[in-house]
Amino acid sequence: MTLSVALGPDTQESTQTGTASSTDVLTAPDIPWNLVIWNDPVNLMSYVSYVFRSYFGYSEAKANKLMLEVHKKGRSIVAHGSKEQVEQHAVAMHGYGLWATVEKASGGPGSGSGGTGSGRGKGKRG
Amino acid sequence: MAKAFKYGLKGITGYLEPSERDLLRSLFDDVISMLEPEERANQDPLAALVGLDAEAREPSDRALKRLLPNVMKDDDEASLEFRRYTERSLRENKIGALRAAALGLDKDELVLAPADARHWSTALNDVRLVLAERLDIRDDADAEHVHRMQDWSQAEDVEGYLALVYNFTTWLQESLVQAMLASLEA
Repeated sequence: MTLSVALGPDTQESTQTGTASSTDVLTAPDIPWNLVIWNDPVNLMSYVSYVFRSYFGYSEAKANKLMLEVHKKGRSIVAHGSKEQVEQHAVAMHGYGLWATVEKASGGPGSGSGGTGSGRGKGKRG
Repeated sequence: MAKAFKYGLKGITGYLEPSERDLLRSLFDDVISMLEPEERANQDPLAALVGLDAEAREPSDRALKRLLPNVMKDDDEASLEFRRYTERSLRENKIGALRAAALGLDKDELVLAPADARHWSTALNDVRLVLAERLDIRDDADAEHVHRMQDWSQAEDVEGYLALVYNFTTWLQESLVQAMLASLEA
């Protein structure tokens, strides 16, 4: 992965990357995987929220909701998609210094963690 | 005394004293040297070129492990496999951001374009992750304990000094991220 993909050449473009790949997620036929962000005592809440907004293109409200879920519950599923897609997101998150892992979506209770969407962003494209 | 970053007509601007610049430069350099992949004599140059590292291992150093974490929580084997394909470029990207931030310290005026701000925010974040491991910050209570150390005259030992450095970089990153969030609204 290049620097431009991992860190985003600019906000606009990384937003599009996040949005584009998550659009694909919706039609992907394979078993979904989750991208999980884990709480740690170091990362700033503002920074985590900023990363969710600029990388995934999430709204301020959605980014803050996910950030608070990480902070309070210890973890949050912030995106899902194919294994390759969430792995790519995980590397990008590691680039930002967030503690991210991928896991197979269980489909059971708790896996959706209320409102964590499939990565639909603000729809800045076109 | 440093001034908080702020977002305005010129973009994101800040101010750091020469001694603060020297401190940040050495912190960025320290993390760069931690992240630099070791050169191996028998390494396949083509594999290295495309970012493969068949010899990649989960780091034994906790701070380095935090910078380069496993991608799966309960599957060390799959994590290692993934690491072999991705860790080298992750290291290089982090080093790139740290170098860019260090270079920015050489300029008289601290005016950050959007790309500079991103490099600075990730560089400061990586520095803080390393300092936090050295300070043994494991939970929010540890973080709060370290956060209470604000008086430079209290820095009597290495840990006290590290705590103050950690708090300075925390303050600096927070002000930068607030400026970056303000720029998103603009």
